[in-house]
Amino acid sequence: MHRRAFLRSAAATGGAAALGSAAGCADREAPRGRVVVPFWFMYGGRNRATLETLVTRFNRGQGEVWFRAVFQGDYFEGLAKLRTALAAGAAPPLTHVVGEVVPYLAEAGVLEPLDHYPGAHELPLHPALGQAGSFRGGEQRPLVVVPFNRSTPIAYANGRIYDAPAAPATWLELEQTARALTRPGRFGFGCPIDWWYWAALVAQAGGHVVELDGAVTLGGDAGVAALGFWQKLVDAGVMKQPPGRDYNAWEQLSQDFLAGRVAMIWSSTAFVRYLEETADFPVRALPLPRGVRAAVPTGGTHFVLLKSAAQELKLAAWRFVRFVLEADSMAFWASETGYLPVTTEAAGRLEANGFFAKHPNYRVALDQLSVAEPWPWSKSLFRIQREVVQPALEAAVLEHLDPGVALARAQKLAQVSAL
Amino acid sequence: MIGERHWRRLALGFALCAALIWLFPYAWMLLTSLKTSQELLKAPTALPAALRFSAYTEVFRVIPVGRYVGLTTLMALSIAVLQIAIALPAAYALAKLNFRLRGAAFACLMSALLLPAELRFVPIFTLFSALGLVNTLPALVLPFALSAFGTFLLRQALLSVPDSLIEAARLDGASELRIVYRLLPPILAPSLVAFFLVSFVHHWNDYFWPLVMTVDDRVRTLPLGIALLREQGSGVRWHIVMAGNTLLSLPALALFGFAQKHLLRGLGSGVG
Amino acid sequence: MLAVLGVFFVYPLLSALCTSFYDWDLLTPPRFVGFDNYRAVVASGELLASLGTTLLVSGVVVLGSLLLGLALALAVHRPGPLAALARSAVFSAYVVSWVSVGLLFLWIFDADAGVVNRALGAVGIGPVKWLTSTSVAPFTVALIVIWKVTGYAMVVFLSGLSSIPPELQEAAALDGAGPISRLLHVTLPLLRPTAAFVAVTSLIASFQLFDVVRLLTQGGPVRSTTVLVYAIYEQLFRDLRVGRASALVVVFFLVLALLTWLKLRAFRAEAAA
Repeated sequence: MHRRAFLRSAAATGGAAALGSAAGCADREAPRGRVVVPFWFMYGGRNRATLETLVTRFNRGQGEVWFRAVFQGDYFEGLAKLRTALAAGAAPPLTHVVGEVVPYLAEAGVLEPLDHYPGAHELPLHPALGQAGSFRGGEQRPLVVVPFNRSTPIAYANGRIYDAPAAPATWLELEQTARALTRPGRFGFGCPIDWWYWAALVAQAGGHVVELDGAVTLGGDAGVAALGFWQKLVDAGVMKQPPGRDYNAWEQLSQDFLAGRVAMIWSSTAFVRYLEETADFPVRALPLPRGVRAAVPTGGTHFVLLKSAAQELKLAAWRFVRFVLEADSMAFWASETGYLPVTTEAAGRLEANGFFAKHPNYRVALDQLSVAEPWPWSKSLFRIQREVVQPALEAAVLEHLDPGVALARAQKLAQVSAL
Repeated sequence: MIGERHWRRLALGFALCAALIWLFPYAWMLLTSLKTSQELLKAPTALPAALRFSAYTEVFRVIPVGRYVGLTTLMALSIAVLQIAIALPAAYALAKLNFRLRGAAFACLMSALLLPAELRFVPIFTLFSALGLVNTLPALVLPFALSAFGTFLLRQALLSVPDSLIEAARLDGASELRIVYRLLPPILAPSLVAFFLVSFVHHWNDYFWPLVMTVDDRVRTLPLGIALLREQGSGVRWHIVMAGNTLLSLPALALFGFAQKHLLRGLGSGVG
Repeated sequence: MLAVLGVFFVYPLLSALCTSFYDWDLLTPPRFVGFDNYRAVVASGELLASLGTTLLVSGVVVLGSLLLGLALALAVHRPGPLAALARSAVFSAYVVSWVSVGLLFLWIFDADAGVVNRALGAVGIGPVKWLTSTSVAPFTVALIVIWKVTGYAMVVFLSGLSSIPPELQEAAALDGAGPISRLLHVTLPLLRPTAAFVAVTSLIASFQLFDVVRLLTQGGPVRSTTVLVYAIYEQLFRDLRVGRASALVVVFFLVLALLTWLKLRAFRAEAAA
């Protein structure tokens, strides 16, 4: 009888599966007596491996707490899951989120205030990377974030193709460089059509995405100028806009750069290690040019503790945060991944052991922090980014829309969004 | 004018093309899973240099395959069994019992076909959130307790079961419950098997509902786990994704190999 | 049975109707907004766009799988190992998970290293932006869906073909009709109710597409593959707008009701035939 045979095989499969999971999961299971703390993370590839190493070190280094790191996809997938988990009462005590969503989460009251946690105000953070430096007026609000993996946009040039001693210093020079480096089969410049890089251009053009009084202007004229600059380069055939969305596009661009199809790209400081190791040419990191001023937004994520978790778990989570920010761990993290060392101690460590000497690209990234631009503390910042600006940018460039019109439409949508 | 012989050759040629088009992707998936990342970077479309299973070891290292498989199987099994348990009496009532609201009940059942999972998830999610059931096994199983398709299938089968059989059982003193759960199953065996297989496979493969109802890996199912293999970051590792994909596809294909006839009967019966 | 129906079917529908009149992000209390959600999804173009995209993709899928399914059924409705192999191969795609199919074709259609573009490149055709061009992506998605679901159409047509009495074919052959003539004048007309049934069933199924979009394009590029269910998903999980998601759900329900009514008519026609 088919049914019986099938049920038998189902039982066998189930048994085998149970055995399999018991056997191969040694490091996943916590030793008895420890408090298990789930930690949601959103890295893949090498960064994930580095994080898992840190988690293992932490778990082995003490005997009360066991961290269980759970992979949740990319930043946006993970954020979606976090918000729904918060709504469903199933959120973890610790995770990390992008800067743009912090004001929203804080205002919704789901983030644990950290002011009274041991050592919270003594962390030797780089001024541009802590809450005070990352958000306008950040120091006046309750502390809710500790920087984790932070980055800024940066330009990478193919050392074999671009041998000028300095970086293009202005938008005009960037355009000229792009033209000069373009050949059949190779673009001079490439940049993902992404909110982050647009925000950089807007700041360089002297505008604000959200004004100091909270009005959503999307940069006004500066916003239009930024978008128009991209369109000009794309239409002139000197800029490649990578296909795909979100991190797909950044991924694609890296591949194009490595294959020699693009001479200079705008990407994140976070990719420096990956690019250096995979390229078969010298990779030069260069600072972004200036418009009427020099500015770069910060990116990456911050650690956050969730208020809804049990106190014991939150305290344990805080221990992990302190551990990651120790000079040793943070230097390890930064050197392995390419994210910026968020503490001055860690940066000092990397200087002292000659790491920066061997990897001058890291120095460029760190030095660029002197022109880092804080984000506005606006609870609709994240919605604006995802729902309004990102699609408008993609549409404007892909479909050759007038930038003024596109952004005006986006601005109107932002009013509806603020509902 | 195309004659019989040419027609036949045309048909067979077409069948051959179809077989190739439908088998090639699996073959490609398997081949890719046997490569190394170097091979993928340099020559993604060449045949693998050697049969290397490093991608598979990596998959097992990165995700708890065994646990996911066990959980998925448990979930699909529970759903299928629950559905049968509820569908049997429902179909029996609709086919054999005469009660006043029978027509209305049948209409209600059919209109349930109007409400696929994708339509019901928003309120069910908020309901389960309030109850604290999100991210648990019941959240994955309970909403599927009723299968309108299955109930309909069983009802159709029951309509051709002679009433005299049931009358005889009643005269023998059997309770309605006994009739439903003891007498009918052997008679309905082929339909039950088809129903079970279709439901089991469908829910084993389900991606949408577990995606919506789980927030971390505590009750993560295999399709979700494999889908997460396409991590962003520094290069999608296709050989690992394809290795995971092969593991994901094997159970469904194996089941298909063993029970093709039953599956075909279940689906080709023309309903749902 | 009725209890389950009540809790998991009726309640969600009514609840969706209610929440569609509120603005709620699950984290803060809901706020009554009347028809604003409906107005917003219309004003932002989202409703029309996702309906349009769904209709486009569904239309291509139904047409494609219907024709292909019919052709395949005609080709493999015969004994022999090759026909059996083709039948199994085509139908096996229907049985595997959408995740399997999605990941598989994500790799096959990869613009850079995927086998399709590499093969095309070998004969000089430039890299096709299968999943990254707003004009091509919906058709690529439809193509992948056709690959997966044609097996269903084929199987139903096969059973339809089996129910055609062979005497009719023989009588036509005796009358001197060749295979094409028999096809056009005997087989196809008798298969019409089956075709209508398959068409509507496939249409209803295509309206529920989600997994393949989520895995391959996440609704992009620039929302060109955002089908209705994906739009609902994004409203809820990406934007945490329960009210708007519910509004879209109500619309979805009305569309499905219409399609199911069509299906019932087709079903009655086939049963009568």
